[in-house]
Amino acid sequence: MSPLVALLIVPITGSAVAAIIQKYRIAERLVAFLTFSITFLFLLAIKSGDLFTWNLGFLGKNVEMGLQITPLSLFMLYITIAFGIVLTFYNLSEKSKMKSFLLLLTMAASNWIFMSNDMISFFFAWELMSWTSILMIFGGRREEEARHGALYYAMMSIGGSYSMLIGIFLLYNLTGTFSIQSNISYLMSLLATNPWWVLGIVSLFFAAFMVKSGIFPFHTWVPYTYGEAPDGFVPYLSSVMSKYGVYGFLIFLPLTLGAHVPSVLGLAWPNYVLLWFGSVTAVVGSVLAFMQDDVKKLFAYSSFGNLGFILAAIALFTPIGLTAGLFHAFNHLLFNGAIFITVIAVISKVGTTRMSEMGGLWQKMPLTFLTFFIGIAAAAGIPPFAGFGSKWMIFQAMISHGLIFATVLLFFASIASFLYLMRAFHAIFLGQLSHRYDNVKEVSSIGKITEGFLLAALVFFGIFPGFVLDPINSIVSSFGLKPLPTSGYEYINGFFSSVNMVSIFVVVIVAFIFGFLLFAVVAKHKKVSQDDNYTAGQIPQDWNLTPEMYQFSYDFYEPMDKEIAPFLKVKIDGFFKGFGQSVDYIGRAIKEIFTGNVQMYTYLTIGGLIVFIIAGWVVW
Amino acid sequence: MVIEFLIKLVQGIGIGALALATGLLFGGIARKIMARIQRRYGPPFTQNFIDLFKLFSKSSVSHGWAFDLGLVAGFAPMLAALMFLPIGSFTLLPSDSSLIMIIYLMMMAYLGMAMGVLASGNPNSAIGMSRALMLMAGYEVPFAAVIFSVYLFSKTGYLTQIVAMQSGGFMNWNMVKMPLGFLAVEIALQGMLGEKPFDQAIAPAEIASGPMVELGGKYLGFGMIQHSVGLFLETGIVVDLFLGGAPNFWIFIAKQFVLYFIVVLVDAILPRLRVHEATSFFWKLPLFLGILQALIVIIQGGVINV
Amino acid sequence: MSEWNEIVDYFRGRSMWMLHYCTGCGAIELPPTMTSRWDMERFGITPMATPRQADILLITGYLAIKTLKRVVYTYEQMQAPKWVLGFGSCTINGGIYWDSYNVIERLDKYIPVDIYIAGCMPRPEAILDAFVKLKEMVQKGEAKGYEKYVKNYEWYKANQDRVLKRTEPVLKRIEKVTKIG
Repeated sequence: MSPLVALLIVPITGSAVAAIIQKYRIAERLVAFLTFSITFLFLLAIKSGDLFTWNLGFLGKNVEMGLQITPLSLFMLYITIAFGIVLTFYNLSEKSKMKSFLLLLTMAASNWIFMSNDMISFFFAWELMSWTSILMIFGGRREEEARHGALYYAMMSIGGSYSMLIGIFLLYNLTGTFSIQSNISYLMSLLATNPWWVLGIVSLFFAAFMVKSGIFPFHTWVPYTYGEAPDGFVPYLSSVMSKYGVYGFLIFLPLTLGAHVPSVLGLAWPNYVLLWFGSVTAVVGSVLAFMQDDVKKLFAYSSFGNLGFILAAIALFTPIGLTAGLFHAFNHLLFNGAIFITVIAVISKVGTTRMSEMGGLWQKMPLTFLTFFIGIAAAAGIPPFAGFGSKWMIFQAMISHGLIFATVLLFFASIASFLYLMRAFHAIFLGQLSHRYDNVKEVSSIGKITEGFLLAALVFFGIFPGFVLDPINSIVSSFGLKPLPTSGYEYINGFFSSVNMVSIFVVVIVAFIFGFLLFAVVAKHKKVSQDDNYTAGQIPQDWNLTPEMYQFSYDFYEPMDKEIAPFLKVKIDGFFKGFGQSVDYIGRAIKEIFTGNVQMYTYLTIGGLIVFIIAGWVVW
Repeated sequence: MVIEFLIKLVQGIGIGALALATGLLFGGIARKIMARIQRRYGPPFTQNFIDLFKLFSKSSVSHGWAFDLGLVAGFAPMLAALMFLPIGSFTLLPSDSSLIMIIYLMMMAYLGMAMGVLASGNPNSAIGMSRALMLMAGYEVPFAAVIFSVYLFSKTGYLTQIVAMQSGGFMNWNMVKMPLGFLAVEIALQGMLGEKPFDQAIAPAEIASGPMVELGGKYLGFGMIQHSVGLFLETGIVVDLFLGGAPNFWIFIAKQFVLYFIVVLVDAILPRLRVHEATSFFWKLPLFLGILQALIVIIQGGVINV
Repeated sequence: MSEWNEIVDYFRGRSMWMLHYCTGCGAIELPPTMTSRWDMERFGITPMATPRQADILLITGYLAIKTLKRVVYTYEQMQAPKWVLGFGSCTINGGIYWDSYNVIERLDKYIPVDIYIAGCMPRPEAILDAFVKLKEMVQKGEAKGYEKYVKNYEWYKANQDRVLKRTEPVLKRIEKVTKIG
């Protein structure tokens, strides 16, 4: 058995086993963890360039199907399966209604997406992935909202899938083959004569990818879905599943349109438009995020905001842009995973997702607090943690193209991300600890191991980015671009300047040691409780002051609302809702026809016949 | 290797001490200037040193380890960022003097500080922090636009090289070549240093000095170090970016002082804005200036063909 | 070690941050003291916002019993070394409120006062005079009111309790009154 097939067979078998024993939560979770680990072992045997093909007889036609490994798919496989191992390990101690067999099916679909060499299996895997994740979301914490979220997600996914399906059959019609490679090369040959055709077909695919990644204007489903998905599944949804879109974009982006369509600032305008979609997504995600009170929704917005960064970078399709985008995809997977895992740990302990009801949890969950802290530091792009390098490279990639407005927007998004991260940090972990949470305990030892591992990974990949940049460089060269120079695992070589992360790390550590020495040497301090606080002279007991009343976290950025209110009037969500309603009306109108009245059917048939005859007569 | 490290360590401590002393001195002089503008005699210009000494000798309260860690994390990255800044003709680690890296290290200091003060559990500090962050969303945007133009103009991201490109007289300074950008940064600097009209975060009579509400003794001392070193860093970055760096330390701090002097004068005559007014102000005039500058640079042929 | 303490005391005297607790009419004397006419900042004295930051607690005017409760709470939130200035005759003997049923007469029965500023009103010169005097005392190591408070805490506490028990809330169900939202 080829290891490529094993990457599909193992998760499906694991899924079957997990489905059989799904009544026993621990066993089911254990199966998930083991399956991910075994898949990873098989993955180790796979090299770039591996190929596996088989033929499928279909309606008398022989359709060649295949699995193939490119450097990009290998990279994606490694990061997604490795993350899956971490997540399923954490899930061993997690108690939400997550069905492991669905997660394993999603993994099988995910592996298939990254490996498939033909559009039929790509589409099939895409659908499998969509439907398993939709089913998963039904198991959310709040039933009604979960159903709404799942249906919203399903509708958007179906829209994207139809668009992709049309694209696939258009291409098949033109080339007579489903192979991705030959279709791409066909499109390339078509470029010189008919760039608009190519653009049209490619945008059909892009619509599907944009839906999956939650790129503006298809971002509206993300908060509903992420907000309602079962806790154990959200990290996978936001860290791994948002990356399928990135992978899809990268299949079609090599079609360099630059020579055949008008260009803006040395960038083909389709790329330019894509870049703007990315930048706007980043801003929309970040700005909407800091107005949320639901923590899962907040990080859902944050998640697609980061996808905007990635899209903006890869849309440039320059060596640094591509490197930056892929690097950010990895870093986003890592820090978003860390953030979401700590968040679901907190949710499972406090039993609410509303941030204004939390607060002060650092006293109770120190390791979770630290992991979250490093996670948001990485998400904010602070050196020496993972996340700094990629954000910084994205800016350099944008600046070097002279894309002033998009860069300023992205920088604004980056600052806004600092805002919502601090807001979440404060509302969850800092401030006053409510007495409701007096009995809250730190996560179990499994959770501690996971968090410790993620914390270490955030620091390690921050200091030694080379371990990620090396495979990325081979991806970049596989796209026919010249990779950025490398000079050791600790270096990030940007366009304008390079940074030695180890030296930064050492300097920061020395500064911290110095700081702690100073802290220890100077005058002593006395520990006081959170009740002993400045209250402008008022005595808290006299006023019946509770910690909840003395916590400021609801509507944290209220003054900003006034400034960004004009932008909030544009409701993309409303557009889709309106669209849904009109579909509903049309559906009802059509339903009216089928009244069961035979006469009515007769009239309709006759009318249809007349129209048919007239139309035939006109056409011929 | 070890000897080299030790030399760097000693030099680093020296730079830290110098920057701290300069920052404190600037603060003291600013108090004196302010007093003279208000027709007062004012405190001695060494007052800030005395205050810092007193704070470190005074006992204080702590709200737990996150509070302590946050306050230390509030100034340690500032000191770290200092090591990459070209000061005069001297840079401790010239190969890493990447501008964005320095800016993000400073952000780590703000993050640490925020963690510390928010761990105190006082709503005043939370309000102050929320204001500080909103203000940051304001001034960082024009600042980013200007950094963008400087990058494109100099075609490098190293502060050392940006300084080197401006050598050879006043006419080579970026201040002369990019006047609009300089103006935008000068306004943004007012916000970065938190001086009026952008002192919403630490409005003493309004929200009981905001983030500092629960800080006393050494914690306030750490806050003061952060502010002083931050003052040195921020003015130092602008000097390196626009005023052509300096051949030696004294000219460097003289240039810094000129920048700070303007900030203090503006501080003396303007009242405090409301926070959303301040934020949207930064999105209007300074951002317009910054983007105009960037466009000029691009039109002059700044785009790098990749 | 005593030399070190002398140095510390010297600098403490040069940098004193003040929290002013203004309940009575005396507050009006502080703005001229701070601003250009008398300028107390030249002695290194600056007004501060919270008790955590302050070294001096300046109490102006009369103290009703309910106010005293706040003053004691604020004083206890301040960190050593800390000093108290009683401003105006109200803090010394009750002033014109000497026979009021709910105003305390002598402040130093409840918290240790380092210096009293007599007068009704004391002028800014008097306040500055007190500051200079306090500075000299601090530098000589004489202003140790905060140590006296720790040492005689039971006595102070008993005095406080004697009057403060009259501040029990009149309204029975305070949670109903103060409930927010």
